[in-house]
Parts: sequence; C-alpha cells; structure tokens
Amino acid sequence: MNENKIIEPKGEAEQATENTEAKKIVQLIDVAKSFDGEIILDHINLDVHEKEFITLLGPSGCGKTTTLRIIAGFVTPDTGDVLFENVKINDLPPHKRHVNTVFQKYALFPHLNVYENIAFALRLKKVKEEEIYERVEEMLAMVNLRGFEKKDVNLLSGGQQQRVAIARALINKPKVLLLDEPLGALDLKLRKDMQNELKNIQRKTGITFVYVTHDQEEALSMSDTVVVMADGKIQQIGTPTDIYNEPENAFVADFIGESNIIDGVMLDDYKVKFSGHEFVCLDSGFGRGEAVDVVVRPEDVDVVPLDKGMLNGVVTSVTFKGVHYEIIVSIKDFKWMIQSTDYVEVGQQIGVYVEPDAIHIMKKSEYSNMFGDYSSFSDELEHLSDASEEEE
Amino acid sequence: MTKKKNIGRTLCIILTFIFLYMPIGVLILFSFNSGDSTAVFQGISLRWYKELFTDAATLNALKNTLVLAILSSVISTIIGTAAAYGISKMRNKYVKSATMSATQIPMINPEIVTGISMMLLFVFVANIVRSSSLLGFWTVLIAHITFNLPYVILLVLPKFKEMDKSLPEAALDLGCTPFQSFFKVELPAIMPGIVAGFIMAFTLSIDDFVISYFTTGSGFETLPIRIYSMTKKRVTPDMYALSTLIFITILVLLLISNFASGKNKIELSKKAKNAVKFTGIGVFGTIATVTLIILCISAATEVKTVNVYNWGEYISDGGDDSLDVNKEFEKWAEEQYREKYDKKVKVQVNYTTYASNEDLYAKIANGAGGYDVIVPSDYMLEKMYSEGLLQPLDTEKIPNLIYLGDQFENMFVYEHTVKDENGAEMKENQTYGIAYTYGVVGIVYNSAELLENAPEILEYIEKEEAGWEVMFGIPKRDENGNFVYDENGKMILDMDDPDNKKFNEAYLKLKGQILQFNNPRDAFGSAMYYLGIDVNNPSEEDWRAVYGLLALQKDYVQGYVMDEIYNKMEKGESWIAAYYAGDCLSMMGENTDLDFYYPKDQNGDYTTNIFADAMCIPSTADESNLELAHWYINFMMEPEIAYANAEYIYYGCPYNYLPTDENGDSILDEETLEANKEAIDNYRINMGYYEYLFDKNGEILTDSDGSYILEYDENGNRIVDPEGDYFVIYNADFENSLLSMFEKFAYKDLTNSYVELSNGTKVSNLTMLNDKWETLKIESTSMVGIYIICLVIALGVVAFFVYTFIKKRRQRRFYWASTTPSKQPQKKQELPDFSETAVIAIEKAKKRDK
Repeated sequence: MNENKIIEPKGEAEQATENTEAKKIVQLIDVAKSFDGEIILDHINLDVHEKEFITLLGPSGCGKTTTLRIIAGFVTPDTGDVLFENVKINDLPPHKRHVNTVFQKYALFPHLNVYENIAFALRLKKVKEEEIYERVEEMLAMVNLRGFEKKDVNLLSGGQQQRVAIARALINKPKVLLLDEPLGALDLKLRKDMQNELKNIQRKTGITFVYVTHDQEEALSMSDTVVVMADGKIQQIGTPTDIYNEPENAFVADFIGESNIIDGVMLDDYKVKFSGHEFVCLDSGFGRGEAVDVVVRPEDVDVVPLDKGMLNGVVTSVTFKGVHYEIIVSIKDFKWMIQSTDYVEVGQQIGVYVEPDAIHIMKKSEYSNMFGDYSSFSDELEHLSDASEEEE
Repeated sequence: MTKKKNIGRTLCIILTFIFLYMPIGVLILFSFNSGDSTAVFQGISLRWYKELFTDAATLNALKNTLVLAILSSVISTIIGTAAAYGISKMRNKYVKSATMSATQIPMINPEIVTGISMMLLFVFVANIVRSSSLLGFWTVLIAHITFNLPYVILLVLPKFKEMDKSLPEAALDLGCTPFQSFFKVELPAIMPGIVAGFIMAFTLSIDDFVISYFTTGSGFETLPIRIYSMTKKRVTPDMYALSTLIFITILVLLLISNFASGKNKIELSKKAKNAVKFTGIGVFGTIATVTLIILCISAATEVKTVNVYNWGEYISDGGDDSLDVNKEFEKWAEEQYREKYDKKVKVQVNYTTYASNEDLYAKIANGAGGYDVIVPSDYMLEKMYSEGLLQPLDTEKIPNLIYLGDQFENMFVYEHTVKDENGAEMKENQTYGIAYTYGVVGIVYNSAELLENAPEILEYIEKEEAGWEVMFGIPKRDENGNFVYDENGKMILDMDDPDNKKFNEAYLKLKGQILQFNNPRDAFGSAMYYLGIDVNNPSEEDWRAVYGLLALQKDYVQGYVMDEIYNKMEKGESWIAAYYAGDCLSMMGENTDLDFYYPKDQNGDYTTNIFADAMCIPSTADESNLELAHWYINFMMEPEIAYANAEYIYYGCPYNYLPTDENGDSILDEETLEANKEAIDNYRINMGYYEYLFDKNGEILTDSDGSYILEYDENGNRIVDPEGDYFVIYNADFENSLLSMFEKFAYKDLTNSYVELSNGTKVSNLTMLNDKWETLKIESTSMVGIYIICLVIALGVVAFFVYTFIKKRRQRRFYWASTTPSKQPQKKQELPDFSETAVIAIEKAKKRDK
C-alpha cells in the first residue's frame, strides 16, 4: 500500500505528459513480482497503445508470461500499478476486466461443443438466444469454422481448436486480447498460416493484441511493437526493424536473428577496430578508446578471395540451408558465422569483407562476451535449448 | 509361424476369460435351475427368482444394502471430490504427496483392520455418550463412507491433474466468478472421474462384508452379512438368483460408466449416447426412488422394535411355505399392546444372524449394544454369564415356561447377586436362558457306498454298537494298555490283535473318504469322546492322546470341512462324517443313501457331544425393550410356533405340549395339569424332529391332508413299529439317555479350565486346544510346498526389482557421466548423437548458465 502511494503521482505525471500519439490502453508502472524469493519481474514499465499489435519476446523464464498474466488479472504484482484506460486495476478480479486471453493449450471446455464454447461468455451475461446465435456465427465466419458448430472440441485438430479459442476470446469484444504463445503447439506450416490469419483478425477488429512468444521470427513478422525481455527486465522496446537493426545490447542482438558479436574498440567517431583491423562504421557518440560490442549480421558479411579480404580466416564448417550456406569461419580464434550463396570448402582459406553499414556498435552490457561466438555453434544445441524451454 | 502364434495368443485369452468368468457362468446357470441341487442341473425355471422376491428377510437386507450403497457412495463422492479439489490446488509438492499417500493408506489397509478399528471407535464413542446401541445403520454408513473415500479421491484426483490448468482461468477470463468457474467448467471437466468414483464406491459398498459385519449392530443386516450367515446351513439357490441380478446390475453400471466417460474409443451417435445416459439415470433413479419410498414409509409410523440376534437359518422364516414366525410375533405383540395398554404400536422384529458362537461373543463382549434377544449355545451362555454379559430373565413374564422339558428346567439357572433394602448382598438363583433347541453330534454315512466298498464297516454300524472307531480306527496299545506313538507323536493303527486288525483293515478302505470337523472344538471333542476323556477336564496326557489320534486320522481324512459337508455327502463324494444331527437330517432329505447313527462306547452307552442353544437377554439390552424381549421368548414357546420352528430347522425342540383336540384346544385344563404333573407326562407329546416318521427313502410320511403322521396309543405313547416301512430318527430309548447326558457330555467352554503341564506351568485348555489344532493343520507336506512356491515367487519379484533398479542406476550413471548434471535423463532421447560439437556446445551452455 505504501508503495502504491509513492508510485501514484509518478503514474499521473506520465499520463499527463503522454497524450500525443495513440491512446494508451494498458500501462504497467514499476511492476515487480517474485515467486518464492525468485525475482520474475524486476520493476518493469510498459505501455500498450490502442489498436497495437505488441509482442513480448524472450526466452522462457524472462517474465513475459507473468507480465501477460498480470494484465489478465491472474497474478497480482508485488509492487507497482496496472492501469487500464488510466484506471488502476491492480485488485480487479479477472472476470471483471475488459481483456480476454487465448491460452497456450487453448483451454477449451471439454464438455461443451464448438458452439457452446464460443457462446460461453455470452451465456454468462444472459444475452438473448438470437443475439448469441448471430454473434457466434459471425465469430465462426471470422475464424473460418462455419459448419463446425456441433462438433466435439476434443475431436478437432490443433489448428481448429486454436480458432475456437480465438473466437471464444473475441466474442466478448474485449478491448485487449492477450495471447499466450497461442501457436506454440502447431506445426510449422500451420503456424505460418495462423500468423497471417491472426494479423488479419487484428486488423479487421482493431483490437489491441498483446502477444507472448519466444519465437523471434513470429515476433518480427507480426508485431507493430516488439518488447524483448530477459531476466525479468525489458531489454528493448521498438519496431521490428529497430530491434533487428539497432539492437541495444548483446542479448538482443543474439536473441533476434543470428549475429557475430565481437569485442571492439572505438578509435574515433565512425571508426572502430576489431579483429585486428580498423573498420569504418556509421556509429558515433562513443568515447574515444571505449570498449564496445560490435555486431555484424552473418548475411552482411561477404566472402571474397583471400587477397581482397579485410580479414582472413579458415572455414571450419559448411552447412547447406537451402537458400544459402551457413559457413563458420575462424578468424583470429573467433568463429564467425557467414551466410553466403557461394560454396566454399571446409579448410579453405577465405577473405571476408564487411561494409560500413553492416557494422552496428553497442555499449558494453552485462550480456557482453556471452553471445555471438559461433565456435560452439550446432543445430543440436539450438534444439536442446528449445526443448528445455518448452519443458518449463 | 505367425498364424501359430496367433492361435497361441487367442488360446491364452480364451483361457483367461474362462478362468475369470467360469464361476459367474455357473452361478447364472444354476440360478435358473429348477431343482435345488447344487450339482445337478434339472431344467430351466425361474423358480428361485420367484422365491427370492417372496423372501422378506432377504429383500429387507437388499433394501438395506441399496440404501447404504446409495447414501454412502453419494456422500463419499461429494467429500472425495472436495478433497481431491483441495489436494490438486496444493502448492507445496511435499505436503501434496504426503496428503495423497495419507489418503491412500486406508485402501491398502486390510479390511479386517479397518473393520475392527471402526467398531472400536464406535464402541468407544458409545461409552462416552453412555449409549448402549450406537452400532447400526449410521455406524455402517460412516464406515462405508470412510472406506469409499480413498477410492473416490484416487479416481477423481487424476482428472484434476489431467485437466488443463488454464481451464479455470479461461472461465474466469470469460467472466465467470470463481464459484461459477468451479460448477460450470471444472466440475463438468472432471465429471467422468466423479462418475467412475461414484460407481466404484457404489459397488464397493454393495460388496462389502467385513467392515459392515464389524460395524453393524442389532437391527441392520446387509445382503452380504445375510448370505454369510446362511452358511450355517446352506446357501439357497435364490441367492444364486440374487447374485446373478447383482452381477448384471453391476455390469450395466460398468457399461454406462464406460460410455459416459467422455473419451470413448467407439464413436457413438448422439442418440445412442443419450440413450445410454438416460438408461443409467433411469436405473439409478428407480433404485433411489424405490428405496426412498420404502424409507419414508418406514419412518412415518412410530415403531417398537425387538432386536433378535440368532444363528443363520435357525428360525421358520416363511420360506418353503412355512410360517413366518417373526411376522406372527409382530402381529401378536401389536395385539398385546392394544389389549394391555390400549396403545397402537407398530412392532418390528429386527432379526439378524451370526455364524458361530464366537462371532456372537465377539459382538457382545466388545460392547455392541442394542440386542434384546440372543441365542448362544450352552458353553457360550455360561461363559457370557460368568463375564456378566447376560441379565436374569423375569420368569413371571414367560408363562409358557410350563412347557419347558424337565431336563432343561435348571440347565441355565445361575447365581445372581442382588442387594436388599439394607444394601446387603444376597445371592439367589435366576434363570439366564431358556432352551431354544438342542442337538447332538452324530455320524452320517453313505450306506450304498459303504456296502460297495467297505461292507464290513456297514455291517459293524448296523449292529448298532458302533462308536467313534469308524471315524478314527483302533489305535495300538502296549501290554500295559498305554497308547503307542510314533516319533511325531502320532498314534498307530493296531495290527497285532486279530480282531482289531480285522477292523482296521476294513477302516483302511475308508481312506480319503472321511470328513472331519474344521473347527478345533468339535474335532478334538469327538476324539476325546472316543478315548473316554472328560472333555471338560483333560490332562496333559489326554491332550497328547487326542492329538495323536487326530494325527493318525489325518492320513485317512478327505478334508476338514464345515459347510462343504452338504455338497460332499449329498453327492456321495465322501462316505462318512461326523456332524450336527439337525444338519445331518437335512442331508438325508437330499440323498436317500445317507444314514445316521449316534456313537456308543464299549458299554453300549452313547458318547457324543450334546448341546443346547438358549434364548437370553444380554445385559446391554435396552431397558425399554425388556418387556417385548420377554414376550418374544415366551412367544417362541407357543405350541404352533415351536412346532413351525422344529419343522423348519430340524433340531430338537425342548418343549413338551399336551395333546390337543380337533379344535386345537388342550384336552386337559391347567388345574389338572398342575395337580397331576407326573401322570400328565404320559400325555406329553414330545415335539421335535424325532417326531416325524420317515419312510425308507428318507421322505417324511404325510397323510392325505399333507400333515405329518403321528401315531399314539390311548396312553399317549407313540406307536413305533421297528419292522415297519418307516423309522424314527431318534429312537425312544435314546431320547431318555440323551437328555440325561447333559450333565456328563455337554462340552463346556475351555477358557476357564486349566491343565497342569509336567514342567509345572498351568495352561488354559483353550490355548492347548488351539495350539494342538494349529500343529495338526500345519504339519502338512503340501502346505510346505505352497510355502516354498510363495517364497520362490516373492524372491523372484524382489530379484526382478533389484535388477531393474540396478540397471536403471547404471544407465543413469552412464548418462550423468556423459552429460552435464543440469540436464535431466529423459532428454537423452532428444540428443541425436554425441558429436564433438555437441559436447562443446553443452560446455558453452554450462558457461552461460554460470
């Protein structure tokens, strides 16, 4: 309670200042949460704007689902405030909030058929039968499930169940729809289709979507805004392009796409030295001689003959990925990943060329030196870490 | 090859099914048997179903069972579901698993332990609230709920676990209050578990015997208890019919529950599903309403109840067109209340049964109150008296005592201490029991089999001098007349004396055809009678002798049996057996080859156990019921009633009645009776089974009206023509010596008699009896074989578990050694193979984790 009193003025102040762009619909102000002494959310601040498709992205355990559950009302924050349309809703129980959720495993009611599942919320409100019928049909049309009314939900495929879950959540016409890794259980092809459909639905209905995922590709392709989270903190908020091109720190750079993150020293504005070579870059504003993290995306590295390369290295592995080859090159004991359409052989000496606009400079952070080295890269590891995430 | 395998597999399945369903198949088949034989199928009929629905006592027990099953399963389902809900919501893993184990322990607990502990609890509580009769419907209900609960929890809890955790959240999210969420979403989602739990509880409750038996009191008999108590005599085929009906009901319930539980493998059309559901609801509905209606009716009228606890099949109960004695009493007593008190009272006899004196004793001695009339045997009556479990009868309230035979008059009169006005203690003699029936242990044999296989034995028996030697053979004695034992303490058949040798050779032909009592009291008793030992005061040497004799006999007996004797003797599977006279007569009614005699000693005197069962009032009886209890005892001595009982149960009737005229009125008035007691003895007609005249086929002779033929001369003496084509079971001279035998032969309780051993210690004869009996039964090679097999199986199982445990440990160690400790073993499958890069990758992951 004490904390509330301290924080409230700050919240009001923020409301007052920010009224320029789209209206803020949900605000989290200095929200913290811990379970059994383990910090899950470490004082985060987040604004969700009207009609926005915002994605909370991060590895498992980063606090993204807890953030969602705080908005839905299933979790009460230890400190901080949750505002909904500028009204504090910290203690409002879930069934009184104007948000609805699509759950990871759909959470369809197994004893009800498709129609009754979708109509559930309306029945609770004692809406007239004719209206229920109309609205359920409308929803079914929207999710392409016409004719499935009487089907047993247990006999539907994963994709169909997902559609029912979305229809059920949307029938209440919520102001905000929360989606907790809704496509996690679907296979790749279906997932792509559903991504498109979800985006379409969001556009058509104009409802704010708060979407939780650990799949960066999904996040980049669907969202208006991406919130990258790790260790209970928000690492970066921005448009997908910003996040990809201008990662704030090594964590974001590594988590979004592939990146080579190399220790470098800023010699001057627009001049950086790493791997024993001086490069021209587009970044400025760092201290002279400041140690920095340098990000080079694998697709931005060109393979050139030895004599033309800015750096030289030995190819240690080559993997065919369809569109391109994934080449691991050892340069000064640092393993680079390069994506190239040209084939090189393992053991071959190659030259490497990096254009100035391919170099992104970041300040050193707590995540420095943890990512970006491909010396140990393997598909197995990716697979392994994915599995452990799903287990959580 | 595959075809062969398939045949083998099919055969295995078929054998399993035969093994599982054969008994039920036979049961169902015999429930449609038109005859009452348990061995021969005589044609299809619904006779036993018809009889079942006219058997009031059984239907009452069925009603009780159903009421109990419905109530206990509903209540335990509600409580169990609530408990499962609570457990599923527990956060702390350790508390959760501890709670789950705790709820499951009662399930593994042996029923007998549960039963006894519940009984103790109820008796304990009854003592605290100073109530004598806590045991009854409510205690059984509580006990049933208690043992049903773990099963309900076991079946419901997994449904909570299976249920998507976000289901209640989804409900809240869509606008349910937490309350609505539980009833609209969670409850329907776990419904299949609840239905399964309910059906499980229902069937368990219907099925339960042990726990019900211990926790029930006077007035409440469930079906399993009733069936069990019938084993005193014989399970009648209407029980087959009932069992068939129960089996089919359970089968239907099972099918319904399978269809009702959402995930059917078979896709049913909606209509069919609904039909199944509606039938299910219909069946339950009907059962519930019927029982409710019965309950309401019985609750509406004010009733006075007398609680009678008697042996099974020990009263004329209306079966086989007999008189329903209890119903008659209800009518009579209601009339009495009207006449005497001008009160309209509904009288009810709560008639429940037990199977042995020891069962009765356990109930009464443990403080189970609420019984008004009990019928222990002589030795048990004395034991109960000495422990203060009985109260003296008010003989003034039992005018029919006048009919009690002379020999029984003082049989159960004991000292009673009362306080006079000054508070001084006074001792006076009081009657504690009034004989209900009496009987003798005799030997029943199959004359046809003996004639064919051992004619010498048959000849010996028919000389009417036969004693127990037919059962035991003649053991060898040394020149001093002492018995000779082998190294195992076993006696040896005498093959030296030529006469004895001749008899023993004949006896050997009976090998494997003799049945002996499967209870120590009667088995050792008969051996003692044979050896001329005082059954009530054996010495250490006597114990050694009877053990030696029984050990000798053991090589020749087919088995130690109780109820199985009916089947074995009736079907001619065994040739000779010692058993209670009344039951022997029942067998003779079934198989005309069977005959019966009472063993005599060398002097030609009868030497066998004689017993009398007597009606008593326990000291815990409800005081307000005392008058009714006395009325009941008195009523049992009414001429027609005693006659009906004697006719139905075949045991001796201890009452004598005066001859009556055509209208049923006594020929002599009461005054004459009192004045000329001795002269009147001549007019007494001895009631009981030895009254009936049997023809050579064992059929009771009746006249054209269907009533039994009784012939008397003008002095009231029965006319018996030994050469005629009928014979009387108990002959006249036996009747006299029989009754005089009570003092000498009645086999008393052994608890309070002691035997002094040669080492100076004193041991209760009962301990001695049980020890010797155990040695006798256990010393069997086949049993040793079974123990060895059990041991081998147990060791095998243990070895298997140890093996798998070690194997798992080794696998795990290998795995842990080859991967990082932070990963769990099951992930192993997800790792394709350990290429070098992967190992490096894991090391990197380790670094990152740090």
